[in-house]
Amino acid sequence: MRELKLFYGPQHLGMVGNFSITLKVEGDRIVKADANPGYLHRGFEKLMEQRTWMQNFPLVCRINVVEPDHMELIYSMAVEKLAGIEVPERGKYTRSIFCEMARVASHLFGAWAYANMLGFDTVANWAMYHRDLLLDMFEELTGARVYHVYLRPGGVRRDFPNGFTDKLVKTLHKIGGKVPDYNATFFENSLFKKRAEGIGVVTREEALRMGAVGHTLKATGMKYDIRKIEPYDAYDQVEFNIPTRKNGDAYSRLLAIRDDMIESVHMIFKLIDKMPKKGAVYTKTPNPFKWNIPKGEAYVRCESARGELGLYLVSNGKNKPYRAHFDTPSYNHGLTVLEKALEGESISDVGNIMMSLYVVAPEIDR
Amino acid sequence: MDRNQISKWLKNPGKMANKYSFHVVYFCTGCGVIEIPPSITTRWDAERFGIIPVASPRQANLFLIAGYVSTKTLKAIIRTYEQMPEPKYTIAFGSCPINGGMYYDSYNTITSLDKYIPIDGYIAGCMPRPEAVFVGVTHLWKLIDMDKADGYKRYREDYKHYRANQEQLFGDMDWPPLFSKENIK
Amino acid sequence: MNELKKKFESIFNNITVNVVEDNRIVVNIKKDEVLTFLSYLKNLGYEHLSLVSCVDWINKSEFELIYILSSYMAKDEEYQEKEKTKIIVKTRIPRKEARFITVINVFENAEPYERELHEMFGIYFEGHPRLTPLLLERDYEIPPFRKDFDMQNYVDNTYGKIPSIKERKKEQNERT
Repeated sequence: MRELKLFYGPQHLGMVGNFSITLKVEGDRIVKADANPGYLHRGFEKLMEQRTWMQNFPLVCRINVVEPDHMELIYSMAVEKLAGIEVPERGKYTRSIFCEMARVASHLFGAWAYANMLGFDTVANWAMYHRDLLLDMFEELTGARVYHVYLRPGGVRRDFPNGFTDKLVKTLHKIGGKVPDYNATFFENSLFKKRAEGIGVVTREEALRMGAVGHTLKATGMKYDIRKIEPYDAYDQVEFNIPTRKNGDAYSRLLAIRDDMIESVHMIFKLIDKMPKKGAVYTKTPNPFKWNIPKGEAYVRCESARGELGLYLVSNGKNKPYRAHFDTPSYNHGLTVLEKALEGESISDVGNIMMSLYVVAPEIDR
Repeated sequence: MDRNQISKWLKNPGKMANKYSFHVVYFCTGCGVIEIPPSITTRWDAERFGIIPVASPRQANLFLIAGYVSTKTLKAIIRTYEQMPEPKYTIAFGSCPINGGMYYDSYNTITSLDKYIPIDGYIAGCMPRPEAVFVGVTHLWKLIDMDKADGYKRYREDYKHYRANQEQLFGDMDWPPLFSKENIK
Repeated sequence: MNELKKKFESIFNNITVNVVEDNRIVVNIKKDEVLTFLSYLKNLGYEHLSLVSCVDWINKSEFELIYILSSYMAKDEEYQEKEKTKIIVKTRIPRKEARFITVINVFENAEPYERELHEMFGIYFEGHPRLTPLLLERDYEIPPFRKDFDMQNYVDNTYGKIPSIKERKKEQNERT
């Protein structure tokens, strides 16, 4: 059969985000996929070199729009490591709760995108509504719906307002009460199973070879999670499981994400229970305009909703970073793994596979 | 439908129909799109205002340019805009398309979008909330009523200048001009 | 950690190994030995290449290439000390006509990273199958991530110089 070159995206219904793939197809089978990122490239790492350490916070969170909080977390972790700042105990818990909220919100957004793409509009509407409830909690806490700029080196910007945790528990219960409905209409729906099972298989060997992280690994049975491997913040204080699946296809990846979300909700409850009732939430840092951080380099990593997120940060003793490089999970998933996973699949499954790999375009482009 | 508007409908049905059925291009141009899904789903329900996303620019009449515009995206935006049938309206969403926003010194994002394609309205903020989208859209209604949402007419009239700007930025453009020279007044 | 340090130092010459507090080993190595050292590390079990990065030390007119390695889990359920270790391999190459050898044969996922470094820093990786542009579309005289690339200047000269439609019209009216 004749080979055909097909441009998939950036203006395409099956494409979430501003990303494009050049496909070589034979009939409707994909022979070769060539990812073409860069539509959202703003040169963050260069921009960060022009701004002071504190000015970088509003920039950093805009790298990943779906879950900006882990970007703030990784940057503040790196600055703390360079400047030698400790986070107070209550601050650690606050951070962990906040980041878990972000994880749940991000997974709900993922559920929206996946369901919307496959035409499960009911589920998509639910997921977006439930995410909005969480955004309301964010708004109450930080004043913004999407970009919060809540974390800072040495803790968080402000303490929880009165009655916040109760409200949060109530909201999470409301969302959790819908999980059986989600299961019945989406996750265990035979229509969805037929679309997702056996699609886009990434085996363990392939995943290891191509540097996959996060749920792509979890879907092959490896409990690779930085929260457990190298606990930061308050994650070593609570018990939690890393949900895994065996098959490595799109369906098991999505189920791993769902279980991760449920686990996160449980973790928030545990964190709220264990959280010290009183105490400071941040350590004081010097005047941001005159803040020079000593020479050195740091490599920190945390577990974002998409997998291992790393930041390599170099300081040369000035008031601005000398070099920053983000190692984002979507980078590997969207470029190396996606190209391999698409080979031999049908055109109609491109969006399906891309969504199950949980690729967010701005994270690739930075 | 508002009863008071019946006379308007009788007078200019085409314009009214256009106004109350915005079909938005499904193109995630920047990080502003994160507020589009909440706006079109149950909580904020953009369909109250007749807004619905459609698959192809050929069926659309509203282009929400959400967020910063990198040069690579700008090409896609211009092509998408030129594919839309007239009358078409554009709303730039967020601070970045106005003057570059926080990426004012980035080497890869353009600073003001209205040099390359005509913009009918801006919604400022980073992120603008869903309510702001609706305020922007209802304001666009007023502009359409007053015949002030004339971006597509300006594009036709000043196409020479728009094309010149686009060419100055991109060098050689790999698609032919939308309007032939006779068409340019 | 210190065992690893001794091991490295016994096998490779011309190598400086520093153990930093938070489970980080920083290895400075000559550029000819990078490939052998990386494949040695991979055989040791450090098979996850997290990041390939580059720092532009303009005062010394050198690029510093950085490979950050960590290890996947040996057993699916158990967490061991080994996974905490991050090995940072550094090497320096001259800034003028920067060339280096690709590590794709050892780590497959280095491909997009090297492509990015090629266009952002202008480092040519020998043996790389496709050094086509990854993120950028425009041509920049100086690769943008180099320290001597002046961003504000570039923005003023390209985007700032493009006139608005009003100015264009005025210009045309003046001409006619």
